[in-house]
Amino acid sequence: MLNRLLRAAPYLVVQLAAIYLYQVAGRIEFPAAPGRIGPDFWPKSILVLLGLVCVYEIIKNLLIGETFTAAGLLEKLMKDSGANAGEEKLRSYPLLLVSGIVLTIIYVVTIDKLGFFLATIAYLALFMVIGRYRRWGVIAIASVLGALGLMFIFMKVVYVSLPLGVEPFSAVSLWLLATMGVH
Amino acid sequence: MDALIHLGNGFLQVLQPANLLVLCIGLVLGMLVAVLPGLTLVMGVVLALPFTYTMELLPAIILLTAMYVSGTYGGAFTAILFRIPGEPIDVPLLWDGYTMARQGQPAKALGWTLFAALGGGLITTLVMVLASGPVAKFALTFSSPEYFAIIIFGLASVVSLGGGSITNAAISLMLGLLIATVGVDSIYGAERFAFGVSFLQDGIEYLLVMVGAYGLGEVFTRMEKGFAGDGTTADTDRRISTEFPTLAEMLRLKMTFLRSSLVGIVVGIIPGAGATVASFVAYGAEGQYGKRGKELGSGIAEGIVAPQTAATSSVGGAMIPLLTMGIPGSGATAIILGAFLLHGMQPGPQVFVTSGPFVYAVFASIFLGVIGMCIIGYFAIKPLVKVLELPEAVVSAFVVLFCFIGAFAARNNLSDLYVIMGFGILGYLFEKFDFPIAPMVLGVILGPLAESSFMTMMVSHGNDWTVLMGRPISATVMVLAVIALVYPIQRQLRERTRRNGT
Repeated sequence: MLNRLLRAAPYLVVQLAAIYLYQVAGRIEFPAAPGRIGPDFWPKSILVLLGLVCVYEIIKNLLIGETFTAAGLLEKLMKDSGANAGEEKLRSYPLLLVSGIVLTIIYVVTIDKLGFFLATIAYLALFMVIGRYRRWGVIAIASVLGALGLMFIFMKVVYVSLPLGVEPFSAVSLWLLATMGVH
Repeated sequence: MDALIHLGNGFLQVLQPANLLVLCIGLVLGMLVAVLPGLTLVMGVVLALPFTYTMELLPAIILLTAMYVSGTYGGAFTAILFRIPGEPIDVPLLWDGYTMARQGQPAKALGWTLFAALGGGLITTLVMVLASGPVAKFALTFSSPEYFAIIIFGLASVVSLGGGSITNAAISLMLGLLIATVGVDSIYGAERFAFGVSFLQDGIEYLLVMVGAYGLGEVFTRMEKGFAGDGTTADTDRRISTEFPTLAEMLRLKMTFLRSSLVGIVVGIIPGAGATVASFVAYGAEGQYGKRGKELGSGIAEGIVAPQTAATSSVGGAMIPLLTMGIPGSGATAIILGAFLLHGMQPGPQVFVTSGPFVYAVFASIFLGVIGMCIIGYFAIKPLVKVLELPEAVVSAFVVLFCFIGAFAARNNLSDLYVIMGFGILGYLFEKFDFPIAPMVLGVILGPLAESSFMTMMVSHGNDWTVLMGRPISATVMVLAVIALVYPIQRQLRERTRRNGT
């Protein structure tokens, strides 16, 4: 039963979301014109279809316990060829994944404060370490030169205004920009 | 005649030094992303997109299409030499290409690949040039029911031809269509699913969905698998050369070549199929109809020529619906469509009327790109395969950064970073639970077009949706859409019943 529940879980989540969004769609405000469908019609239609597909999968997985599923052509071709056979045997590193996601979220949160250059050096170095890479010299060089190179390309060549950070970190960004000749 | 003049002018434009440089950069980048495991062709094109923001439209499209063309070829080197398919496209090359290389003929295997890529590329370019104009002219006669039916067919084929199960692909597609409805709607000005959040009121840019789901999502997925420590252990230092097949050998394979070109072009035209499906289908067709079909897998040239020709041919096929109707046929063409829209041009039949010279310059760039990629492939194969030595953790760290810069640069808005982070996690969850990403991305891109054609159709025809079945073109296309969805399900159910019966 637990297996069935686990298989049905993604569809249950999507189904609940679809029901909630259908209610939200019912509250869309617009100047109704007689004889014309409103802006809620299209999203509601999609949500109904989405709900029907989820109901089918929930009944199939949870109630009947059926595992057969019709695959898309590409999926079938890959499966028949055995191209994905090796992938299933790969080990899984959930801690690595969680650390990577947390690190990336921290990067997004701090880039505005630290500025692109400092935040990126730290992010690149930590990402490589979390990714089990252990050549410290390469990590140091790739992080510093990578951050510098990207800053140069995007601020000097492509004219993207990357975040400079707040005091005192912005002083580093401003000094670098002045050195690169970006005003 | 006009087409020839336009094409000639197109060549002149592409041969300008700046455009030629962009073309070469695009070809090399396309090959690099195809060689590197962990960086897919679609991801590569996504990551290149931010560099095109400040470019003129023509070099921007040249860069992305060059990457697309050469990306169908670059992965062949590592598949044949080291049994490492850089892309799913290259998997069929393992069976005969790698086998031929192991039999002591790696140079010959690479030569056959080059011949197939060059021939397939040139044929598809020719077909694209000849067919696009008439298709665009025909598409000019379409009104909203026809457009809506074509989009529905496109979305149906994305669901039935792609990866994952058909129901998961349908859920992915509908989520994409829903994401496209977020923000203020263009007809009534009503706010939908914004929940009072200011950046949601502007809608969710499809670029953020693409960058997040394809780029970040893929990095997170590979991270969970632990990344390959110091890059490949393959011997990339050994002598690598390419040996062309003789004219007699090429002529012997003319039917394989023609059949696979046709498969590639047709599969490329069908939205959602793309180079990988073309490559597999052509290999299957060779097994079924080829003179030496039963010998496939033993290291014969047909097993190399068929998938490679079809993969490269699919590029021209996919460009036809993109340029003539604004409907992308694959993940890469979806991003190229994004580049068009970012630069304020909506591809479609009108483009041939309003910007004919531009379209022919794109054709010329693909033509030159095919030749250029073969030249680069011939001379630069050794440094190209050297990138296999790059550690995956280092490459992935930079991929994430390019994703963030690409997302940020579009609107200079830090909130967008949170959005792509969200889509990155969603992309990872999709991979984890076997939901394909491509239908969601195409849903986000085609959603607004689908909704506006639907609304226009309903307004123009008094809310009567049966008009779809009352017009010959839309009715035919809708029937094709139903077949595209129902046939694979029915066939697999039949296969299952037969298996259970035996």
